[in-house]
Amino acid sequence: MRSGKADMADKKKMSVAEMIAAARKADSGGGEADDQPNKTDSSEAEAPAKVSQGSAPSKSVPKPGEAGRPSVAEMLAMARGEKSGAEKAAPKKAAEKKPAAKKPAAAKAATPSKPAEPRDTASILAAARKPSKAGPMSKAEAAAKEKANPKKEKPKIVVPPMPQKPAYAIAPPAPKNSSKKGAGEETRRGFLAEGFTFLGAALLLWTVATVKFMFPNVLREPPSKFKVGLPDEFPPGQVNTKYKAQFAVWISNGEYNGQQQIYALRSVCTHLGCTPNWLEAEQKFKCPCHGSGFYKDGVNFEGPAPRPLERYAIRVAEDGQIEIDKNQLFFEEKGEWDNPSCFIPV
Amino acid sequence: MTHGLTDGQFFSMVASFLGPYYLALALMNGLAALYLWRSGQLKTWFSLPVPGLGKVAITNSAGWLLLATMFAILGAIAGSGWVSMLALPEGLRDAINQGTGPVVYSLGTTAMLVLLYLFRSFFVKPVVAWTIWNLMWLFLGLSMTDSDFYEIVAKPDNVPIVMLVFLLAFFTWLGTARAVENDDRIARGEPPLEKLDDEKVLVWPDLVYIELICMIALMAFLIFWAIALPAPLEEAANQAKTPNPSKAPWYFLGLQEMLVYYDPWMAGVVLPSMIVAGLMAIPYLDFNKKGNGYYTIKERPFSYTVFQFGFLEMWITLIVLGTLLRGPNWNFFGPYEHWDAHKVEALINVYLSDLWWKDLLGMSPPVAAAGSSTLTQIGYIIYREWLGIVLVLGYFIVLPPIMALTVFRSFYQRMGFVRFMVMTNLLLFMASLPIKMVLRWVFNLKYLITIPEYFLNF
Repeated sequence: MRSGKADMADKKKMSVAEMIAAARKADSGGGEADDQPNKTDSSEAEAPAKVSQGSAPSKSVPKPGEAGRPSVAEMLAMARGEKSGAEKAAPKKAAEKKPAAKKPAAAKAATPSKPAEPRDTASILAAARKPSKAGPMSKAEAAAKEKANPKKEKPKIVVPPMPQKPAYAIAPPAPKNSSKKGAGEETRRGFLAEGFTFLGAALLLWTVATVKFMFPNVLREPPSKFKVGLPDEFPPGQVNTKYKAQFAVWISNGEYNGQQQIYALRSVCTHLGCTPNWLEAEQKFKCPCHGSGFYKDGVNFEGPAPRPLERYAIRVAEDGQIEIDKNQLFFEEKGEWDNPSCFIPV
Repeated sequence: MTHGLTDGQFFSMVASFLGPYYLALALMNGLAALYLWRSGQLKTWFSLPVPGLGKVAITNSAGWLLLATMFAILGAIAGSGWVSMLALPEGLRDAINQGTGPVVYSLGTTAMLVLLYLFRSFFVKPVVAWTIWNLMWLFLGLSMTDSDFYEIVAKPDNVPIVMLVFLLAFFTWLGTARAVENDDRIARGEPPLEKLDDEKVLVWPDLVYIELICMIALMAFLIFWAIALPAPLEEAANQAKTPNPSKAPWYFLGLQEMLVYYDPWMAGVVLPSMIVAGLMAIPYLDFNKKGNGYYTIKERPFSYTVFQFGFLEMWITLIVLGTLLRGPNWNFFGPYEHWDAHKVEALINVYLSDLWWKDLLGMSPPVAAAGSSTLTQIGYIIYREWLGIVLVLGYFIVLPPIMALTVFRSFYQRMGFVRFMVMTNLLLFMASLPIKMVLRWVFNLKYLITIPEYFLNF
């Protein structure tokens, strides 16, 4: 039984149905072999035995259903065997007898080998798969296996020789040493060269376009240096919010450290960068985000802003107008508001 | 929304809302009564002697049915346009406005949290909880007739916050009720409720079906919401003009509120990172193995109170504060106060170093001579801010060992040095926010340490 299983497992590709059938066959065959001496009605029992001998001696892989129900061909073979062996029984009778003969045989096979017979599919599969190692095997193993079970020769396919190519199918030989190529002629190398040239040109154009994209025609930022008018336009005590929207700057005329001066405050809250509003009634800058408040001179006094507003550079230009330069910032906490470039004394 | 409306127009607008609102409340109470009656959970509150019938037992079902009737009557009054009758008295509204300063608000919520914690077994009783639930809705309904309140609460932006308050109240009750019941069971030696129903269910189909149904229901709700309350769009962005007030998304309003009290570097970077890192550290700091898979308070009093303080007090109430009570210029407004952009509040900050040098010693703070080296300047800065530095360092360095020796003695023994230090420092950082808030509101004290020269303020 074991050797039979090993045999079966050696067939590398067996379908599940085949494995089950093979296992059942092996079991029932073994059972029958054991049973043979006990059999009394040999005339009926011999028929399937003969059939199995006659029909499938050379077959290594038993067909499904061979163990349970014989196929039509087997039935015929069985009938023939009986005819030749017993001679007296008619084929019809044999056909009638056969199922009856089969059943007791199967039943008998089942009874003595009870533990082996009612096996479930999983155990059969497991048993069938066990001997062959799953997964990859080493070269030595493969060789050993090969040796142990020499491969069956595959039937050689005999291929008739190709017929000679007809004359019209043979391409005319290419003209040798032809340095000049025809106009319509293309080589692979030439094609690639052309293609890459075009691709490179397109890429270059893209690069140029991308670079151009970085410098749009529109100037979105107002100039960082700009003139806001004559100093007379900024009377004392006033905060001019006219330039806040465009230049983000308040120009105010106020007192700082006891000195009346005109200065430009950056309209960005020193807390987190919101834009505060100038509240005329309360005389303070107030940020809507977290409630920071600044005096008219830009010094913080309420809310979370950690330091005063920042000043831009301011000067009276040659034409008498006030010019503000946003490139320079002056911080109060660093003592830079004493720098004369950040205010115009009045 | 209510700008330019006369009182009459406003009332008719509110009436169309309040009519269905009160009817919904009536339906809610009616359903509760029906549920109690059908499920046989009737309890007799008291017996009313009625002439002719003898004593009539007033059950909880009858009580809630009575309340439903009252709400139905309110709905009829509101729906008929007689809204001014359903308002809180003017005096009460003024008192609430005066009362809800930031200090009262924050300390009041803390006190409320303590009360709810101490008397939790009383507050989770269904009768009490249902009464409070109804009072909350009634308060909202009565307040809606105030145009200033209505404008803030009914703004499509703020509706989720109102929903959040109610949902949070419900879920807090649910969790606490389960915990109280479990604690009672554990005290009696029984297993907690969740252990009784320990049966495993299948992901498919049990869980996935529930999720699918929830998904569809939520989708339907969101679609309905989006149609009913269109999302407000503001004007195009303008660098020069910041909306007033300018508010963060609602879930960040707690952080925005925190930014008022700390240096932007602290409140914007250090503390949020510490919140995230601290939340991640919780599993490593927690040594209490109890309370795994069931609600309990008695077995985890420390974790429970810290979480409720951090979540309800430091996160949710700050969101509510930021949404409903912070108006133009980030000023604090009472719930019935008009959002006046020109409200003047004297909030002139003081610094601790100024208090020490100018007010106490009557001298100007020490300043390094002009042109002195950086090290000398730093030395002078430290000398100027010495009081704040001592206080802050004392808070973070001296307090943990004291805690380890006194109140957290057993914690220290079980956690070891490193874990204990991490835990106490996280705790102290959390506690520093309310301390800073109170210092700001009561004394206008801005920073303990003020070093604007190096952007170092605390």
